[in-house]
Amino acid sequence: MTIGSIGRGVILKAREFLYAAGFMANIFKETLLFAKKKQVGFRVLVMQILFTGIEAMGIVSLIAVALGAVIIVEGISILPRFGQGQLIYTILIIVITRELGPLLTAFIIIARSGTAIATELGNMVINHEIEAYLSVGINPISYLVVPRFLGVVISTVLLTVYFNFFGLFGSFLVTQLIRPIQFAEYFRNLLGSIQVVDIVSSLIKSLVFGVIVSFVAVYQGFKVRIASTEVPQVAIKSVGQGFVLCILADAVITLIYYI
Amino acid sequence: MPSAPPQATRSHGHYLSLRNVLVTSEHTAVLNKVDAHFPEGISSVIMGPSGCGKSTLLKVAAGITVPDSGKVYLQGKNLFRLSEKKLLHFRKGNGFVFQDAALWSNKTIQQNLALPLQFHRRELSQHAIDRRINILLEKMDLVDTLNLRPAQLSTGEQKVVSFLRAVILEPSTLFIDEVLPSLDHVMVERLMSMIRDLKQQGCTIIAVTHDARLTSLIADHLVIMNRGRVLECGPFDSVRKSKNHEVISILTEVLSEAATYETDLLDLLGGEKTTEP
Repeated sequence: MTIGSIGRGVILKAREFLYAAGFMANIFKETLLFAKKKQVGFRVLVMQILFTGIEAMGIVSLIAVALGAVIIVEGISILPRFGQGQLIYTILIIVITRELGPLLTAFIIIARSGTAIATELGNMVINHEIEAYLSVGINPISYLVVPRFLGVVISTVLLTVYFNFFGLFGSFLVTQLIRPIQFAEYFRNLLGSIQVVDIVSSLIKSLVFGVIVSFVAVYQGFKVRIASTEVPQVAIKSVGQGFVLCILADAVITLIYYI
Repeated sequence: MPSAPPQATRSHGHYLSLRNVLVTSEHTAVLNKVDAHFPEGISSVIMGPSGCGKSTLLKVAAGITVPDSGKVYLQGKNLFRLSEKKLLHFRKGNGFVFQDAALWSNKTIQQNLALPLQFHRRELSQHAIDRRINILLEKMDLVDTLNLRPAQLSTGEQKVVSFLRAVILEPSTLFIDEVLPSLDHVMVERLMSMIRDLKQQGCTIIAVTHDARLTSLIADHLVIMNRGRVLECGPFDSVRKSKNHEVISILTEVLSEAATYETDLLDLLGGEKTTEP
């Protein structure tokens, strides 16, 4: 590999980064104007929340309960041996609320909505539907991207809150099967272990993940140019990039918390 | 080497002007340093062999495709340097009929036609919007398609709906990209009638067509293209007298099939067929 080709690769990446930054700035600008414009796109936003948020509740419930159950079963089996039975509540809060709740919710949304958005937009590019929006004076960022962006962000935050509640409640139900405990006692212990920072951390993470997932999906969707074979490629990329960026963001936010 | 007419290099005095426009796709020049202009209030027809860049030229002129280099002037002002508000105003005042219809596939025909009105005519009630859509669909005998999706329509019907979407905002400029192929005779007559009415109302029409009937109906101004270059651009009478063999050849070749129908454009061009090289 010559120095020239390395240089060209760096320039290409830098250009792509700048383009992505400009694209993101445009989305943020149009998002701020969304409410002011009283958009017809409000219906698209409602539909996006319905698809990304409401329709994902089933799978989120299942995963949240399963995760809560695993933590309870493992915790109750191991922790009392070390005389640390009470730590189960702290572990529940850390694992469900602060770490895996936001991350697993983001993963579910990447798999369902991220791929759907990238595929839908990619097909619209190929069928010249984006050009059709431009031709009638409708800004595709404002009408197509912003409702999807807002819908995914709002849904990610709300689904994470739902995941947390369901995970903690589900773990209570599983506890009843192993070692029955009073509802009041369980939640008193749980509330005693939870801190405001846990809730804030969970909300910040879900907000950041929502922005990442939606941005990656719409950016990849609009990267399609001419061929239908590009569509599955951008769908795969939106999943891969979404996973990687969410995990990196999770690590950074957690590091900031402990520093 | 064909030369562009003197007017083509001027940006002022024309409604729309393209200067030195370059558009590439996959490292191939689709438009190669093109100069062209389109006067206001009259109808221009862009002609040339398939794949010569006519549709791209139309999209650049309509502000839909941004060129790699070169400039597009709207009444002397750089189109792609206009403020967002002015660009929106320009696009709102235009209609564009796509070669492949480009209807929004996830919406019904009613929604396809209603969206531009919902966006730009917020004073209209839903009832008024529905009424306007019904009037247009009745003209084309397509009322039955109201609640269908574009995929449920034939290619010809899709093109007609694309035309109706383009005119629903009563545009001052209409860009038409090959609307007549794949339409039956009755539909062609109805569409031609609507285009004729728009022309009479002073609408600026810029059309890409191979159709001799449409050309003879509306062409006041001709743009002849080949291999991504503009060979001739000027008033109909001026272009028809062109001695450029490439232009004559393209006109005869492109129109040879269509010219066997009712109106023989080659007759209009003064029997240029005999000068074919």
